[in-house]
Formats: sequence, structure tokens, C-alpha cells
Amino acid sequence: MMDKNLFRMEKIKPVLIGLAGLAVLQAFLIIGQAYFLSKGITNLWQGQRVSAQGKEIFFFFLCFFLRQVAQFFREQQLDKFAYQQSQILRKQLVDKIFSLGPNFVQKEGTGNMVTMAIEGVSQVENYLTLILPKITNMMIIPWLVAAFLFTQDILSGVIVLLVFPVIIIFMVILGYAARAKADRQYEGFQKLSNHFIDALRGLETLKLLGLSKKYEKNVYNVSEEYRKATMSTLKIAILSTFALDFFTTLSVAVVALFLGLKLIEGQLALLPALIVLVLTPDFFLPLRDFSSDYHATLNGGNTMKEIYRILDQEPFKATQNLTLNEKWDETETLSFEKLNVKYAKEDERMTLSDITFAWQGFGKIGIVGLSGSGKSTLVKVLGGFLEPDGSEQIKVNGQVIPHLQQEKWQKQLFYIPQDPYIFHDTIRNNICFYVPDASPESVEQAISQAGLVELIEELPQGLATMIGEGGQTLSGGQMQRVALARAFLDQERKILLFDEPTAHLDIETEAELKATMLPLLENHLVFFATHRLHWMKEMDYILVMQNGKIVEQGTYEQVSKQQGYYAKFVAETKAGGELNANQ
Amino acid sequence: MPTNKRLLLTKKDHWVRPYFAKYKKLLGLVLFLGVLTFFCGSSLMFTSGYLISKSATHPINILLVYIPIVLTRAFGIGRPASRYVERLASHNWVLKMTSDIRLKLYRSVESRAMNAKAEFRSGDILGILAEDIEHIQNLYLRTIFPTIISWLLYIIIVVLFGLFSIPFALMMLLLMGILVFLLPGLSILVNQGKNYRRKEKRHVLYTNLTDSVLGVGDWQYSGRYQEFITTYNTAEAEVRKIDQEMNRYKRKQDLAIQFVFGLIVVALLIWTGHYFYGSKTGLNWIAAFTLAFFPLMDAFAPIAEGVAEVPLYEDSVQRLHRLPKPEKESAAKPIQLKGTGIQFDDVSFQFTEKSKSILHHFNLEIQAGETLAVLGKSGTGKTTLSKLLRGDLEPNSGRITLGAVPISELRTEIFTQIGVLNQSPHLFNTSILNNVRLGNLNASDEEVAEAIKQVGLDQLVASLPQGLNTVVEEGGKRFSGGEQQRIALARILLQNVPVVIIDEPTIGLDPITEKELLQTVFHVLQEKTVLWITHHLLGIEHADRVIFLENGQIEMAGSPQTLRAENQRFQQLYSLDSAE
Repeated sequence: MMDKNLFRMEKIKPVLIGLAGLAVLQAFLIIGQAYFLSKGITNLWQGQRVSAQGKEIFFFFLCFFLRQVAQFFREQQLDKFAYQQSQILRKQLVDKIFSLGPNFVQKEGTGNMVTMAIEGVSQVENYLTLILPKITNMMIIPWLVAAFLFTQDILSGVIVLLVFPVIIIFMVILGYAARAKADRQYEGFQKLSNHFIDALRGLETLKLLGLSKKYEKNVYNVSEEYRKATMSTLKIAILSTFALDFFTTLSVAVVALFLGLKLIEGQLALLPALIVLVLTPDFFLPLRDFSSDYHATLNGGNTMKEIYRILDQEPFKATQNLTLNEKWDETETLSFEKLNVKYAKEDERMTLSDITFAWQGFGKIGIVGLSGSGKSTLVKVLGGFLEPDGSEQIKVNGQVIPHLQQEKWQKQLFYIPQDPYIFHDTIRNNICFYVPDASPESVEQAISQAGLVELIEELPQGLATMIGEGGQTLSGGQMQRVALARAFLDQERKILLFDEPTAHLDIETEAELKATMLPLLENHLVFFATHRLHWMKEMDYILVMQNGKIVEQGTYEQVSKQQGYYAKFVAETKAGGELNANQ
Repeated sequence: MPTNKRLLLTKKDHWVRPYFAKYKKLLGLVLFLGVLTFFCGSSLMFTSGYLISKSATHPINILLVYIPIVLTRAFGIGRPASRYVERLASHNWVLKMTSDIRLKLYRSVESRAMNAKAEFRSGDILGILAEDIEHIQNLYLRTIFPTIISWLLYIIIVVLFGLFSIPFALMMLLLMGILVFLLPGLSILVNQGKNYRRKEKRHVLYTNLTDSVLGVGDWQYSGRYQEFITTYNTAEAEVRKIDQEMNRYKRKQDLAIQFVFGLIVVALLIWTGHYFYGSKTGLNWIAAFTLAFFPLMDAFAPIAEGVAEVPLYEDSVQRLHRLPKPEKESAAKPIQLKGTGIQFDDVSFQFTEKSKSILHHFNLEIQAGETLAVLGKSGTGKTTLSKLLRGDLEPNSGRITLGAVPISELRTEIFTQIGVLNQSPHLFNTSILNNVRLGNLNASDEEVAEAIKQVGLDQLVASLPQGLNTVVEEGGKRFSGGEQQRIALARILLQNVPVVIIDEPTIGLDPITEKELLQTVFHVLQEKTVLWITHHLLGIEHADRVIFLENGQIEMAGSPQTLRAENQRFQQLYSLDSAE
């Protein structure tokens, strides 16, 4: 019943104690309310005038209202507590995401992380306000009420106490049955409910195939199938609520019946009988509350588990801080010695293995290979998003470090992925992200270097146009150029990582950009992973990758003359396709 | 974006309202059962109260209380039973409506009117629309049904009391009116603005966090983490402020509702005490009337809160409302094509009057069976060209013909003539077999297998334990980019069209995969007329002719061999794009 994760919250114990105190108070008020109401009714029944019932009515109303006031107070405090906790949780989560970095985010699904930090934490907040009083009420109120019932009529007390476990058993049995059925159908469900989005997303393709009209029927039929499947699960799923309802109302009916019989035989007076009748539904109320909002509770609990799973992710290995100059210069060295990397901890195979490579000072290093050969992974290790398997394979200036998530290292590097992220902000602020206080002239220059002048002229508000989510949409190539402009603007950072920065560009635009880019890459340490082989001519050193290994390395001349994998690779892209001018 | 005028449930609302009428009977059943549930619950306490009061008078014969005994049992079983059926019926109703709305949404997005609206193309919007439908489900289950049921109960209760005493009925009219009208109304007034503001602020929080999570690397490197935390905290504090106000209001509202409940019980006690005073048998009814009200509290308590949520659904309905209404399309007459040559005749096109001209008095002829490569910088209108050819866009002036028949006359039959292989062909989350067969629903398994073989996937398929029945998974992610393109190509082969448009299908592929894919593509499409849009020169030797688009015109044209030999610009690009 009690979610273990709840105890990981700070200050949970005093809160539970406070709630328990309030539950005791509420139980007494419930009893008081029932007593005074029954007393009033009995007095009237005995022929007294209404005007003589002032005291009973007043105390009934007082108890009734105070009970609500107690609830008011409880929710006020819980609201505050739940908010504080959710704030802490959200902060921890965001911190964790930041410390684990982009590779983790990508693996978990980006949308997923955002939803978890906002909706998920809100769900937990809601869960806390729901579950805590449910638990304390359930543990206290029914038993105090039952104890009082025994003082009024033992038989009724026995009846409700017997029904209580019966309800629990039925709910558990039916709950399990429903869950088993739901589990079996869940996969199918998922498929059916995703089908609609799938159909909408594929609409363009369907149109191209001339099937979009015919598919209408399919959309409707699948939705109807979904309805039927849902209904058949629901029939069982809500049986547990039915059982709860059935036994509680039935036990009220049974209690009323026995009370009636006892009254006829004169074994009981009207007052205790009425009190019992009024109190019986209140005995079951905490149980009904407990099972209501079932989904909110279930989701809240699961989300909380999920959030803690992420908070429990192992951080990067603790390490001595890397000592490094402000700016990478000619004298500094970086080396990998038999580096092994797993993309995810649970993977069996190494994504990168036996990576050995050393470099001193500035230089342009190209990385080539087929898709899946490990180029991006290597760039991620260089960027410090990914931790190698061992801990003594990386050396910077001779200092051994387990990974490159080092402040001094990351502060001077720049990473441009294939799909750079565009912030929801003006295009100007996007370009100036790394240098917020850049002068207008330098921004202008970066824009022209990145070939964005024409685009910005066409935008409705020029540099002040909002881009990113919900703003002006940019094409893949335009986004890549915005990212390049960011890099051009920041000439202070000496280490540049590129992961297919030109994949979305047409050859002419790429050629123009290449001309402006090359001079800017001088006096930098550049790692450049790409499928566009013409860049290799410009590189000082080339790493050729295959199946997670560096199979060849050397200067352009060396690798192309080697008649090895690179030469074969280049030949492959041409095989049978050499365009001869004199054909 | 959102207009201030309310749309939800008004006469203009053609997304939520019409379904009330459509499944009238089921809706009636749902409401009847909803009322019945509370009626049984209330009656159980009523008869029980009467039963024990009557019993306390020590009747000589037990048969005198026989009817209340039976009724108690009946109501005791009736309440859970009707509640169970009501929940099933209401879900059934809502899901039926969902199927209809989905169909309607699909039709709307599918309609031709949609073509012009690029905004709806992005997957995000489609996801949001699909979610909107789920929101509408909640609107029914959580707000509309309970509210109507509480109104019905309200009427029944007031009428019933009217049979006993008009003044007391009026009193209940007033007291319960607070619960079903005054407090919900007030709640809407107070919370509407807050709800919107909350939504807005939450949106800010969302973009903030999305930016931080997706751009996590940039924040990390730029050393601007602290700055982010500060802006984020301000955004969060603002949301909390509104939340706090709303929660506070809700607590006060709950207290007010309970206060009214207390008053009603007291009023019932006082009235029954007066009304039945002095009547020996009448006194037994006091407990009955007073206790009967308690179960009804559940019906009235959640109304005010539920109603306050209605404005939240407004967005969803507005969004759906903005979708175009599907047009009726006349079936195209069968048209006899004269060959499969394509002709662009003095074609001009621009998206809007103000935007720049994409094509300017553009002329182009593509011979039947020719492979034409279209090159040009991004934004020069390569893709527009293909859309014009398919009739998805209409030229501002000029004429485009296929086999001497204007494209506009082909209308919905265009798919029998032109197939498209684009950058992101959609693979449906079903088997390879089903995906390929979408090209021609009448194709036999053998024909599908043959197409798979032609595109060079036969070995891969054979290596899969489930062969052609392997599910491609969402968006085809079971397979690599190159493999996905091959599946899509197989689909086009089955489609058996004379003309194929190829629109940059190789973006993101490594050069070897790209090379091999292009080889397959041009091998299997040898006989067909092909318009190939490409952004670089790899595989350009497959084209019979190459054109460069620039400023709405053809900048240069010729066979790749001639261009390679004679055209300086082409030579430059060619050497740029080659590895050596």
C-alpha cells in the first residue's frame, strides 16, 4: 500500500504524523456529527418540537463544518508541502539531466525528458496531495468509527468489520484479473491508439499512392476495434469499483435490516440505531476515497518511480579536475590509448574498441567511415558526453582522466552536430548563444560567413525574427548554417567538433561555405566527421573507421596511397560511376 | 491565434456538439443511469431511515416493515449495478464519438483544401490534433455528463419537494441553485482568466525546458547554466503563483459547497420536524428525508470544479475548428494520355503575391523515358517543381501537361501516372508485405516478393525470421535509412506508374549506401520517365540530362557528359563533390 519512494522525500515523517493527527480529529468530528444529527432526529421522532433542538442542530452543524475546516487546513498544508517537494524533485532532475549531458537525453528520448520534468513532476505533486491523506485516513478513520459502532451496537460493528476484508479481497482479485487482461491487451491497445497518428503522419504518402480516400474506412474501423477492445477490458476493470460499491451499499442495507429487527424486538433504542446507520457509510468512505482517482494515483506512483530511476543513474566517474590552460595551444597534447566505449551501459558489444590516437597542438582531423562505423560516438567521447569503459585511457598533457566531461576542456570546445538545436528565441540570440555580448559588426560578419544574409533579409523581422519551436521554421540546411554562424562568432574556443555539419546542404552552398570555413579552422584543433569525402583533402590527418575501430590513420596522402580501406571506400563510391568527359 | 469568442458547445461548434444528437439513445441511457445511480443511493438511505424509525415504533407484525426491507435491498443492489452500467455506457458513447471525430479529422486533413496549408504538414501539429480528440473525451466524461446529471437531479428533487410544500421546494431551489449554478458560474468567472494565463505561463515553462533539455550540450559548453536556472526559476515561480491562487480558490469553494450541504441538512431537519409534527406516522419520515440527502452530496460536489475546466478545452476545439471542411470532389473522368512526355509551358509560380517568385516564365520538356536531374541551391524551387507536376500546387500562369493532358484535369487520378520517392517516405507500423502492397492493393504475394527482389532486399528479408511479415515498427525504425528507401521504392514499383519523381532520397546516407541505392533506383526505373531532384552530384552519370535552376529559370542544361566536358561551373562542382 505504501509506496517506498515516498520515504525518499524530505520531511515526509512529520507530514505523515500531522496528517494522522488530523485524521483522528476528523474521526471524532464524524462521530460527533452523526451523534448530534441522530439525537435531533430521535428527539423529533419522540414528538419534541423543532425549536427545542437548537443545541443538537448547532453541534451537528459545528461538527459537520469543522470536519470540512480540518480538510481545508489539511489541503492547504499539503499543497505547500507537495509544491516544495516537486520543486526539489524538478531541480534534482534538471541538474541530473545537465550532468549526464546530451547523449543521455538522446537515449531517453528528448520529448520524454521534458514531459517528465514538467508533466511528470506535476503528476507527482498531485500524487502526493492525493495519496498521503488517503493512506492516513484509511489507517485511522475506519477503526475509530468501528470502535464507536461497537459501543452502540455490537452486531453492526461485527458486520462492517467482516465486510471490510471481503471488499479488499474482491478488489484485489478483480484488480489482478483486470490487470492481467489489460496487460495482455496493452500491446494491442498501444498499436491501435498509435494507429491514428501513424495514419495522419503517413497521409502524404497515402496521397501519393492514391490511397488516402480508401484509408478512411480503415481509420474508422481500427478506431471502432479499439473501442470494442477497450470496452471488453473495461467490463472487467471497473468490476473492482463495482465490488466496492456493491459491498458498501449492501452492508448499509444489511445493517439497516438488522437494526430494524432489533428495534422491533425492543433490543435497541432508536438513537443508537440511527447513529449506526449514519456512521456506516462513513466507515467505508476512506476505502472509497482510496480507490477513487485510481489512475491519477497509479500514474503518479509510476512517474515517481521513473523519476527516481533517472535520479539514480550513475553519474560520470568522479575525477580530479583536469588542469588546462585557458586556450588550447601548440604545445598541448591529447591521446587515447586503447579506448573502449559502450553506447549504453547495458549493451554487450563495444561501440568503439581499441581506439588509439594521439595529437599535439592545432590541426584538422577528419573522421570517415560508413554509417554505424562509430564516427559520431567518437565525436561524443571527444565532447565529453560519453564515458569510456575503462578509466585510464585518455590523457591530456600527460594527465590521465577517465572521461572528457571536464569543465576546462568543455569550456573551450564547440560542437556542431548534424541536427543542431535551435532555441526558441530570435535568430540573433541564437547566433549569439555562446557570445551573448557580441558586437553587431561581428554578428554581421558571422552571418555573412555562414551564408545567412539572404535568409535574414527574407525573414519578416530580420534578425529579431523568432525561430525554433513555434517560431519561423528553418530547413535543415538553414539550421546547420545558424550553428555554423555560432561557431564563426566565437573565435575564442579553440577546439571544434563537427558531426556532419553539411549533410543537409546542397553542393553549391556547401562549396561556398567550405571556402569561408577553411580559414576559420586554422589555428584550431578540429575534429570533422563527415560523409562528404571532398573535405578530406583539406584535413591534416584522417581517421578511417570501420565497425567501431580505427582501421587506418594518417595524412590524406598516406591513407589514399595505402591501397587499404580508405582507398577501397573511395573507389566504392565511384565504382561504375566515373563520369568521363570523353565518354 | 485563439479568438476571444467562445466556440465550444455553441451553434457554430461542429466538432463537439453534433454528437449529442448522433447517439441520442445511448446518451439518454447514460444520463438515465447516472440519475438512477444517485436515486438508488439516496433511496437506500431514505428507506433505511424509514425502516428503523418505523421499527422503533415496535409494530406488531414484521410484515408492516416488509416493503422497506425489500426496497432497501433493491436499492442496495440497484446503486452499484446502475453505476457499473452507466460507466460502461458512457465510455462506449465517448469512444463511438471518438471514432467519428477521428474519421472527420482524417477527412479534413486529407482534403484537397489542405494541400495549400503547409502548416499542418509537420508531424507535431498532427500529434496535437490527435491529442485534442482525447481531451474532448475527458470533457464529456468529467464535465458534461456529471453536470447534466446534477441538473436532472436538481429538477427532480425540487419537483418532489414541491409535492409536499411549495415554500420548502423554493427554499431547496435556492440552496441547491447555489451548488449547481452560482458556484460553478462564479468558478468560471474567477478561473477563466487564470486558466488561460496558467496555460500561457506553462507554455513558457515548456519552451524553457525544451530549450534546456534539447540544447543541453550548448548550455553546458557555453557556461550559461546559471543563467538558465535563473530564467527557469522565474518562469516556474510565475506558474506556481497562479497555481496557488487557483488551489486557494478551490479550497474555499469546497468549503463553501460543504457549508451549503450543512445548511441543506439543517433545513431538511427543521422542515421535516415542522411538517410532520404531531402526526404519529409522519414522524417516521423525518429520518428518511434527512438521511436521503447525504448520498446526493457526491453528485453536486464536483460540479463547480468540473465546469471551471471547460475553457481549457476551448483551445482544442478552436484548433479543430480551424481545419478546412472537406470539399466534395468530383471523380475524374478517365483520360487517355498521349504518351508520357512532360511539358512545362511558360509557367510562373510564387507562394503569395508578396513572396519572391519561384518560377518565372519557365519552360521545360521531359521526353518519355528520359531521366532528368534537377540541381540548384536550396530554396530555388526544385521541390516546388515536383509539386506543380503532381498538381499539389497550381501555377499562377502557364500550363503543365503530361501526355498532352493538363495536370489539373488528372486531379485525383494523378497517382495512376506519377509516383514519388522522397526524403522521408512514411512506413506504416505494419509488416513489410503490407507496406509494399500499399503500392497496389491487388498485388499477389509473389508480385510483392518480386518487387522486393528487384530493389535488392530479398537477402535481407530472407534473413529475417518472419520474412515479409516482419513489422517495420514506428516510422520504419526497424530498418536503416537505405533499407527504408528501398522498401518505399518497392512500393513504387508495384504502383506501376510511367512517371516517377525522386526527391533527394539519399540525405543522411553514407556515400556507399547512397551510391548503391541510386544504382538500384535507376536500374529498376530504367524504362520510366524520371524527374530526379538532387542536391549534389554523386551518381549524376545516371541522368540523361541535367538542369540547374536559378532565379526561376534554367541556368544551364545538358547531358552530364557534355557539362563535364564543357561547362566550367559543372566541372567545378563535380571536382568539389568527388573524393579526390
